[in-house]
Amino acid sequence: MKRVLSSITDGRGFDIALVALPLAFLLLLSGLPLLYNVLMSFQEVDMFSLGTLWRPFVGFENYRKLFEQPETLPILGNTAIFVTASIAGQFLIGFGLALFFWTNFPGASWLRGLFLVSWVMPGLVVGAIWNWILSGDFGVLNFLLRESGLISGNIFWRSDPNYSLWAVVIANVWLGTSFNMILLSVGLSAIPGDLYEAAELDGANAWQRFWTITLPMMRSSIGALIALGLIFTLQQFDLFAAITSGGPNNSSNVTQYWAWDMSFRQYDFAKGATISVIMIVFVMLASIVYVRSTRHEVRG
Amino acid sequence: MTPQIEFSGVNKYYGAYHALKNVELSIKKGSFTALVGPSGCGKSTLLRSLAGLESISSGTLKIAGDVMNKVPPRKRDVAMVFQSYALYPHMTVEENLTYSLRIRGTPKAEARKAAEEVAATTGLSHLLGRYPRELSGGQRQRVAMSRAIIRHPKAFLFDEPLSNLDAALRVHMRKEIRALHDRLGATSVYVTHDQIEAMTMADHVVVMRAGVIEQQGRPLDLYDRPVNKFVAGFIGSPAMNFLPAVGSEDGRSLVVDVGAPQTVPISTNVEPGRKVIAGIRPEHISVVAADSGLMRVAVSVVESTGSMSYITTATRPELAIVETGRTDVSAGDLIGLSFAPQSVHVFDAGTEERIG
Repeated sequence: MKRVLSSITDGRGFDIALVALPLAFLLLLSGLPLLYNVLMSFQEVDMFSLGTLWRPFVGFENYRKLFEQPETLPILGNTAIFVTASIAGQFLIGFGLALFFWTNFPGASWLRGLFLVSWVMPGLVVGAIWNWILSGDFGVLNFLLRESGLISGNIFWRSDPNYSLWAVVIANVWLGTSFNMILLSVGLSAIPGDLYEAAELDGANAWQRFWTITLPMMRSSIGALIALGLIFTLQQFDLFAAITSGGPNNSSNVTQYWAWDMSFRQYDFAKGATISVIMIVFVMLASIVYVRSTRHEVRG
Repeated sequence: MTPQIEFSGVNKYYGAYHALKNVELSIKKGSFTALVGPSGCGKSTLLRSLAGLESISSGTLKIAGDVMNKVPPRKRDVAMVFQSYALYPHMTVEENLTYSLRIRGTPKAEARKAAEEVAATTGLSHLLGRYPRELSGGQRQRVAMSRAIIRHPKAFLFDEPLSNLDAALRVHMRKEIRALHDRLGATSVYVTHDQIEAMTMADHVVVMRAGVIEQQGRPLDLYDRPVNKFVAGFIGSPAMNFLPAVGSEDGRSLVVDVGAPQTVPISTNVEPGRKVIAGIRPEHISVVAADSGLMRVAVSVVESTGSMSYITTATRPELAIVETGRTDVSAGDLIGLSFAPQSVHVFDAGTEERIG
């Protein structure tokens, strides 16, 4: 007994306890709901069987039915557009800003910190702000586009099916850019300065130094960031709820919003779970890329 | 012949800090010049302004006759070996070597051939496919040098390239760098804080302190006739002994104070009563019987390495003496010291400049 006790306060028992606590926490609060969700996607669920665990098993029936619905493919397509456009926008603008602040002009670090304000804001607040900006009749964005001569009539960003998805993309790019910028700034500052000096003496101009030193040295940071971006954009729910609610007519609907809508507005819990399971597969793939790219860091 | 590198009246300021003070330095083509001095003396700043990594505030810098003040580093045609080596970690050894060639658009096959040729001379042939992280310190050092050699630059700049190596390898690489320099007929500028490196490798040594060139010349000239107390103390190992002294009545000897006043002959004239500093190198003092010689001192420490014996005296200030081979002196003994008058260096006590 004494040995067990002393092993817990000082030894292997302590190590195991340290690992077991967060593991139990994860299993209970993330693992079990996840497994329950997967289980539900193979069952027939209705309002009356909601409280039980063992419900009629239907195999891939939910998946088959889901793909028979006419809105499924457009929504998957919307999700792909939303994810790609958001990541591209966040990454490119974020990288541009990171490079800009990297020049270290007076006040650069202070201003860079200020950029994080957009990232710490709750999605619903960001959505509310963008609702005003995107507003069709009196929105600032329309005003700017009109005054600069880019458009002749107002664009109804939130209610025009051609623009509704892009309205959320714009807000999401704004929300995620600063996070991209911070992570890329960290990656940039980890590149030793003497590499640039060596490259400069080797005859490389600024453009060549960017392509041959900066980009290859940032490979792991970029890989990790794109994978994280995929995970974060697939988690983006608040903006849809605040700006378009997936409408009009599903033109801005994406899987993460649709899963919630299916479960808690249409009470089709099985299909909601099925959509979530499809998303889990994509997020898992992104996680693998993320873990691998952080493991393969190139450091001299 | 125009010098390969020429600094004239060069000053460098960092804000109010005056890092290089009116530097005049001319480096002959094919020479090996060492910039040496304690840390913060400006030697690295001087090298970096030669490379173009720092701009100079005033004065002129010429490389091969052309003014380089405003020319960016990539157009100066100089190669640098960094203290950290600064190898590109994401490139193989071959890619590291050929980087400058590829930047210039040299065809792949030609670059490859150049890399193989250089690697053969520096013993890297079997490592061309490796990444820097897979190499030892000495191998990385060779890659850094090969990367410089492959370009046939107007000058090679070395920024303390050996300070990250262990002592044995350092001595070996010293010879290797010098041999390489001779074989290539290159012009090299070498920064180090280690005066032994400077003395053994260079044919022109520049001693710097606080942004000022204190003295420059051939290594043994600096050893034989240091212009001031700083250079005298910096060049030579173990360092020169300095004793407070006063010119004596006859003008041809000094009264030195090592606890008790003792008169020693010198080869220069010093006015009677003038306060000076007498400097004498440990290797120029010989131990004689206690009742003979110029001074009589007690021994406090004796250290023997077999080939050399280092004796420290119990005087104030203490004296260091180096004897070749073994010694039968031991701590506590009374010994006599003798030295030739011409091996005593005399410096003014106030300005610390050389007298005579």
